[in-house]
Amino acid sequence: MKATNPMNRMNAAVRLSVSSLRAHKRRFAGTFLAVFLGVAFLAGTLVMGDTLRAGFDTMFGNATSGTDAVVRSADSITTPGESEGVREPVDTDLVTVIEQLSGVAAAAPDIQGAGQLVGRNGDPIGGQGPPTLAGNWITDPGLNPYRLAEGRAPEKSGEVVVNKGTAERGDLKIGDTTTLRTPDPVKVTIVGLATFGGEDGMAQVTFTGMTRADAEKYLTARPGEAASIQVRAGPGISQRELVDELTTVLPDGVEAITGQESAEENTDMISSQFLTVFTTFLLVFSGVALLVATFSIHNTFAIVVAQRTRENALLRALGASRRQVTAATLVEATAVAVTASLAGLAGGIGIAAGLQALFPAIGFPFPEGDLVLKTLSMTLPLAVGVVVCLGSALLPALRAGHTAPLAALRETAVDSSGASRARAVTGVGLLALAIGVTLSGVLLTPSLWLAGTGATLALAAFVVLGPVASTTAVRILGGPLDRLRGVTGALARRNALRNPKRTAATASALMIGVAVVSLFTVFGASLKATMDQTVARSFAGDVAVSTPSFGAGGSGLSPHLADAVQRLPEVDTAVGLGRGVAEVDGRGRALTVTDPVALERTFDLGTVNGSLRDLGTDGIAITEKEADKQHLTTGDKARLTFTDGQTQTFTVRAVYGQSELAGDYVITRDAWAPHRTQDADTLLAVSFKDGVSTDVGKAAVEKVADQYGNPEVQTRDEYAQSAAGGIDMMLTLVYALLALAVLIALLGIANTLTLAIHERTRELGLLRAVGQTRSQLRAMIRWESVLVAAFGTVGGLALGGFLGWVLVRASDGASDSAFAFALPPLQLLVVALVGLTAGALAGLRPARRAARLDVLRAIAAE
Amino acid sequence: MTTTTVTTTVPTAARVVDAVKVYGTGDASVRALAGVSVDFPVGRFTAIMGPSGSGKSTLMHCAAGLDTLTSGTAHIGDTELSSLDDRRLTLLRRDRVGFVFQAFNLVPTLTVAENIRLPLDLAGGKGDLEWIDALIDVVGLRDRLHHRPSELSGGQQQRVAVARAFAGQPDVVFADEPTGNLDSRSGEEVLGLLGRAVRQTARTVVMVTHDPVAAAHADEVVFLADGRLVDRMESPTADKVLDRMKAFEVPS
Repeated sequence: MKATNPMNRMNAAVRLSVSSLRAHKRRFAGTFLAVFLGVAFLAGTLVMGDTLRAGFDTMFGNATSGTDAVVRSADSITTPGESEGVREPVDTDLVTVIEQLSGVAAAAPDIQGAGQLVGRNGDPIGGQGPPTLAGNWITDPGLNPYRLAEGRAPEKSGEVVVNKGTAERGDLKIGDTTTLRTPDPVKVTIVGLATFGGEDGMAQVTFTGMTRADAEKYLTARPGEAASIQVRAGPGISQRELVDELTTVLPDGVEAITGQESAEENTDMISSQFLTVFTTFLLVFSGVALLVATFSIHNTFAIVVAQRTRENALLRALGASRRQVTAATLVEATAVAVTASLAGLAGGIGIAAGLQALFPAIGFPFPEGDLVLKTLSMTLPLAVGVVVCLGSALLPALRAGHTAPLAALRETAVDSSGASRARAVTGVGLLALAIGVTLSGVLLTPSLWLAGTGATLALAAFVVLGPVASTTAVRILGGPLDRLRGVTGALARRNALRNPKRTAATASALMIGVAVVSLFTVFGASLKATMDQTVARSFAGDVAVSTPSFGAGGSGLSPHLADAVQRLPEVDTAVGLGRGVAEVDGRGRALTVTDPVALERTFDLGTVNGSLRDLGTDGIAITEKEADKQHLTTGDKARLTFTDGQTQTFTVRAVYGQSELAGDYVITRDAWAPHRTQDADTLLAVSFKDGVSTDVGKAAVEKVADQYGNPEVQTRDEYAQSAAGGIDMMLTLVYALLALAVLIALLGIANTLTLAIHERTRELGLLRAVGQTRSQLRAMIRWESVLVAAFGTVGGLALGGFLGWVLVRASDGASDSAFAFALPPLQLLVVALVGLTAGALAGLRPARRAARLDVLRAIAAE
Repeated sequence: MTTTTVTTTVPTAARVVDAVKVYGTGDASVRALAGVSVDFPVGRFTAIMGPSGSGKSTLMHCAAGLDTLTSGTAHIGDTELSSLDDRRLTLLRRDRVGFVFQAFNLVPTLTVAENIRLPLDLAGGKGDLEWIDALIDVVGLRDRLHHRPSELSGGQQQRVAVARAFAGQPDVVFADEPTGNLDSRSGEEVLGLLGRAVRQTARTVVMVTHDPVAAAHADEVVFLADGRLVDRMESPTADKVLDRMKAFEVPS
């Protein structure tokens, strides 16, 4: 006989695996789903990112096509936690200078500030993230990124043009009169509606365009300042040439960039703002799904290979090479990987398309345009899916190849490998290392990097220790079962103990899902507790008036509100906190601009060294933490550089213990006045006179606030809880996504059980013959499923709780504010119950199938 | 149709009347039992013999409530089995019938003691503790009570199965080739146990076997061929049974 050529040999492998796949379609459903979801979310994220970017590119390109150069101040001050720096304004006198240049066709100042419109129903529009902008309506249509769509441009004071999206959200029409919070309330009449680059607005950014005089009056600290100057080139002059010419006349500290560069900057800024939220969620989920997938895939193939030992041994006995047997399994894995990844890719494009359609429906303008499918965002998810799938199947495939031909003759093919000593030692070593690294990263030298490494090691340790722990854990968890469920319970427990490796691998998938859920739960609860603690510790007032303060959104509070509230007879102290920006010794810092005396009365500042009483125009108060960092004590000098480029020396007159709500640097309003930009308070804290009830006082403050654009007035508790609202929303989204990960894990449990039942057919027949009723048999299998799920859930809770603690502690160490750690018992209990219920559900179908077994045939089965 | 009707004054532990069992339908159908009526009296050790395909296992399965008859009736004591649903049949097997199979008699995850008590535990009752204690001595496994089946020899495993079969003091114990997988010495022990159980404690045993030596331990042997009861033999010996069996091999 001639030796077969490699092609034929491979064909044999392919034939074997295809027939096997067909025979075990159901078995691969879980594997398929896991890979599918992982790839789909990865691809969806990438496609959405590309599409958004392309959409914004087009939008900004359209909007700013008439602007060839932008003149602005060169330096910006960026404070920690802010993505965009604050720039010093430019002098509008420059416009005349620029207009005289030969290459310039037109130039216009762009005055910008915060301005939040109040909608028809009295609620402010936007402010929950994207900026709420107001500016001068640039009369040269080429230089104005907004185009009039309806109505006319503002001509006299009080007239405004609003972008269409904002008008729609606030149910406002041309001719309507409403309030613009700058943050001082300004009565405005809408005379026109505008579009931006062909869209109803620049994403969710709201824009109100006023006359130049109004803009200078309400949006700048003093007339003659603009955020930038938009310039159009004369005919035949390129953007680059224009910039070069402009540079010759610009004073120090002022720069010119091309219109294209400016559009790119804007695109980058807005798409990163937009994308980070979604991409982070989707990528985290995609990672979790793929991680769960590796366990699911490995397990499925391990069991399939174990079950097929005799078949593989027979093939080996008949002359199949090791390689052929391994290849058959790998081809099977490839088939699953490729189909699932391709389906995932399609699913990902579907997700992106769905989001594109969904966003506008919920008032979230998504730039129009076709989906952008780049090669990288197509190939990367595909490659990840295939690599994950093949990688997970590699070990089982190699094991299949190592099947000894003699195994065909052995009685049973049940894989009963236990936990080895080496595994226990390695696992415990890993765990010790993980704990050591984590603790040192959290407690000794606070470092997110060390803590992260420790967390990863902990995950690895849990996976390695799984089989070792599963024996003990199932024994303990199943302990009550014997007593509660008698022999049915005992049988369930021992079945779960039969194959620790398999039990552990099955439970690992659920463990990871539960761990991530509990990690987020713990972290969310800790954030809430932190807010509560912050308010409880440092807010001594009765009510707080605040505007949504996420990101750059909202225009803040009118600085006059504090004075108005102070005049109420019910009020003892009303203190407004304004926000300023300055560089302290070269690093951008946020300043709290306020009345320091009132501040001390309404906020608990901890121990104060020195006095806040007479900061004057050259005094500053600093928190202990910042003072330590900068090596400052009372009496020392600190140099502050403001956005207007001026540097002034301040004397440290007080060092206080607690920052939290009050901020790290406090200066008086008088000290801030010369350098001020658009004035706004971020928080107004009010304490009432003795004997004034909160309800009465709150009603009085609300009445005043109503005249200042109707910001929200909250009691102490409401104020603490309002911060938690965002956290709950985030958690809901996370839970929805992770429910899918748990679903994948459940399919894994059901898979394993089905296979185990197949192996135990004779035993089940025997049990039925000697009198086990169908319902007892079903209960036995369901309880086994619950036990495996319980092991996964408990492991996940422990791991998630630990990681949550690490994350909270590490954040505490790495950031300026103190983090509180909280374990929410109720939520974690719910997570545990969901895990157990899920286990019971996973066991339903295998149990039903097992109960249908024909007793006689089962006894006679091989 | 030759139907041998046996009349006795002794009450029956199990019996089948005009038992017919057909597997499959149409041309592919096989008539495993072609109208068998037989009584298994209380306190007797009955062996069912016959060549392969004679229907002896089918007869036992139907009589024990593991399988259902196509027509005719099967009774355990006074209970007619065809009227019972799966649940009642299961409970009847659990409470009133004992089983010893040829192989794979024990649940591998349970200890010897737990295997013996299995039907009682499934029922949730305590059972007769003295009786079980005595059984353990009879089968000689007191020092193995906490072992797992995998730690026992084949003979020991079958002895545990015998103890399990009698643990609930059932009306009747059915044994399906209980010595088929054992060497002759272990087989002897198991058969001795079954015989002693019948004679010393007035239990009823019905055993299917193709081994004349095993059949010789019974009080009576019934012979099946082609799904029919063809003969009965009181006080069998191995030689007499062997002679009778040889007759089947003569083509008729």
